[in-house]
Amino acid sequence: MIEETRSSPGGRRMSVEQIEHELGRLRMNEDGTLSLRASVLNLIVVTDEDSAESVTRSVSNIAGLYPSRAIVLISDPEEGETNLEFQLSAFCSVRGGSSTHVCAEQITIHAEGPPAEHLETLAGPLLIPDLRVFLWYPGPFSPSSPEFAGMVTLADRIIIDSAAADDCELSLREIAELLDEPETPAVGDLQWVQLTPWRSLIAQLFNPPERAGVLERLSGIEILHAPDGECRALLFVGWLASSLGWSLEESIRTGNGREVRFSGPSGEISAEMSPTSPDARFRQVRLYSDDYGFEVARSRDLSEARTVVTRDGEVLAERTVHLGHFDLGVLLGEELSYRGRDGIYEKALRAAVAILEL
Amino acid sequence: MAETQVLQNVLRDDHRLPRVPEPAVMVIFGASGDLTARKLVPALYDLASQRRLPMEFAVVGISRTALSHEEFRERLHDALKEQRPGRVSDDVWESFSSSLFYLPGDSKKPETYEQLQGFLKELDKERGTDGNRIFYLASSPSLVPTIVERLGEAGMSQEDGGYARLVVEKPFGRNLMSARELNGEIRRYFEETQIYRIDHYLGKDTVQNILALRFANGIFEPIWSQHYVDHVQITVAEDIGVGTRGAFYEEAGALRDIVQNHVMQVMCLTAMEPPVTFDAESVREEKVKVLKAVRPIPEDEVENYAVRGQYTRGWIFGEEVPGYREEEDVAPDSCTETYVALKLFVDNWRWAGTPIYIRAGKRLPKKVTEIAIQFRPTPHTPFTRGETLGLEPNILVIRIQPEEGISLKIGAKVPGSGFEISSVNMDLLYGTAFLEEAPDAYQRLLLDLMLGDPTLFIRADEAEYAWAILEPVMRSWSESKEVATYPAGTWGPEEAEVLLERDGRRWRRP
Repeated sequence: MIEETRSSPGGRRMSVEQIEHELGRLRMNEDGTLSLRASVLNLIVVTDEDSAESVTRSVSNIAGLYPSRAIVLISDPEEGETNLEFQLSAFCSVRGGSSTHVCAEQITIHAEGPPAEHLETLAGPLLIPDLRVFLWYPGPFSPSSPEFAGMVTLADRIIIDSAAADDCELSLREIAELLDEPETPAVGDLQWVQLTPWRSLIAQLFNPPERAGVLERLSGIEILHAPDGECRALLFVGWLASSLGWSLEESIRTGNGREVRFSGPSGEISAEMSPTSPDARFRQVRLYSDDYGFEVARSRDLSEARTVVTRDGEVLAERTVHLGHFDLGVLLGEELSYRGRDGIYEKALRAAVAILEL
Repeated sequence: MAETQVLQNVLRDDHRLPRVPEPAVMVIFGASGDLTARKLVPALYDLASQRRLPMEFAVVGISRTALSHEEFRERLHDALKEQRPGRVSDDVWESFSSSLFYLPGDSKKPETYEQLQGFLKELDKERGTDGNRIFYLASSPSLVPTIVERLGEAGMSQEDGGYARLVVEKPFGRNLMSARELNGEIRRYFEETQIYRIDHYLGKDTVQNILALRFANGIFEPIWSQHYVDHVQITVAEDIGVGTRGAFYEEAGALRDIVQNHVMQVMCLTAMEPPVTFDAESVREEKVKVLKAVRPIPEDEVENYAVRGQYTRGWIFGEEVPGYREEEDVAPDSCTETYVALKLFVDNWRWAGTPIYIRAGKRLPKKVTEIAIQFRPTPHTPFTRGETLGLEPNILVIRIQPEEGISLKIGAKVPGSGFEISSVNMDLLYGTAFLEEAPDAYQRLLLDLMLGDPTLFIRADEAEYAWAILEPVMRSWSESKEVATYPAGTWGPEEAEVLLERDGRRWRRP
């Protein structure tokens, strides 16, 4: 838990040396001792003024588990006049009976005008050497944004949230195209991370050997999602289709929903996505075969999920578990701990895009 | 349709999804005891809540206390709320508790096992637990051989319908002979691969981090030997007394309670060779090699290698605390040791001639577990004696608790004119960097157990070799009524200081 945020007003023009010196000064305790700096990674965040506060909160929340040097870039390239402003913070804590403070750091840079198109020249010199670099876009992301080509050269991993885009279908397509470029580093999608507990719960339902065989005989999927949750539903269906080797046959718009038909090893599988959930983006999933039904549904307060397995209408097993925490800090933390490309995500994404393009 | 056809669940082929064990029933003997309520069930609840348990999972508690399923659940619910205040969800508990069952019965009587078998078969049918069994012996150590025998006679150690695993809590015997007997009795019915001897110390992330530090960092390995290390000090200190465990402690003492298991494990992890892979057999084989290489303590020279002590009334962090003999259920003339100091040698290529000093005790000034590697001084110094007055040997300290991390004491020039060298501590609190909330040790071990990974469990020969090292000390101490004393709140008896002074060394202050 972060116990203390120390800030420096920074200033307009600061050199790299001045910034490093000021960050060192922030680690100085009142008694003259120096707090330790703990860093396991570099985190570059590209965001806007409106989101800056929540981003800072998330960065400070994860500082305990993933202490980092965070460089938060708030850019406005459309502002005509050049303007650069720096703010420096240290998130310090004392734990485990220690008398020593341990601090993580954040450098916030407001860049307006032409410098906003060259953010990599601001972030690059401030990175801590030899630590991995994560480039995080908490808001809408487009690979065609003016600063991205430069920023991506610094990154070992890009973290985006395809759910944050105004047009999530376009966002999925753009991410899929980006992944096709060989020099693109690994990409993590917070929308995909939100599906992890769902995928885990669904996968567990087929663990008993006698039920694993039902995967080959599934004939339908029903997903209840909120009107803005269709892309999440598409990723989920894409995951099932790519994992189970289904071939896409047809995709039809049904009012605000969508119906997709696949062909699988034992025949046709239909996937119905209905935007009838009033609140949760992803509310309920039901998979079924002729005899079995597998359902995972969020509880009314959304924090828990109930899973039920039925056979010929009779309940075989049911339970309630925590669905997990979905605040931004937790989702980000999941991505920061992941290594390498997520092949399962990439296949699910391509399958989802294929549905959109049919 | 091929209903019984076994196909792979391809949805699980994703390392992003947590591994979930196969369906199973955990049978807990001694289920009305503290361990079940305070450790096992809370850890299982956490695992269930975090979606780490299979849906097809059940717990069957057995003990002599007459309880219904519902009463058993209520007891556990109350204990869970105490253990996890504000963190128990009613819905999750309701769902989890429906998998908790209770069977009143005397674990000495064969009919209890007949009843158990019938009940387990019912659960297999109703809850799909698939014939997999874990028998967790949380009962009194004296009942272990009987329970194992009854399980064996009932055919429940057989693995024909699923796996059968046996979990044994420490102590693994009281000495070498009883440990061998116990292992022999258990292995009459269970194969070694079915036996999981649990020392929760190994489930701690911080203890496992010793391996990470040693074997994931190339810079330490070249200097980790008698060529560069002068000696090693392992400290496991507690500031608490025996509290309400006086009766137990009177029988055990620090040597059996802490040294034979926790301290020996820490020593093994510190001294072992790099395992080829991080699998159970490779890791345990390397640990056993360390124990086998420990030089036997000559029984007629125990006083040169071992010191025992007992705390008297004293002050800890501003509070006056009673002496050991004043504690509840402790004999007024007790000579049970609450403090142990040992000098051991690991006679192998890496450690020949390098003493490993061990101390463990209660009512020491603070709670701390650490390993200090003290390096040899430089072979020659170009500085004058006056210039290096403040210089001390390099010491690498691996702190396991409370502030997990490493600290390295190095010599540095004191700023200013002249060339004065002084020692500076470089601290790296990697625990603070990473471990905001380490998982409970039992959670980790229960999950490993269900996944069939015995890496963090004790193998029979490990337990036996650890006893063998201590055997001469226990024999010598059993023949004498003399025990050194130390005031609570100090670092042990004077004799422990002498143990190191004789070698021209001293204990470091943790």
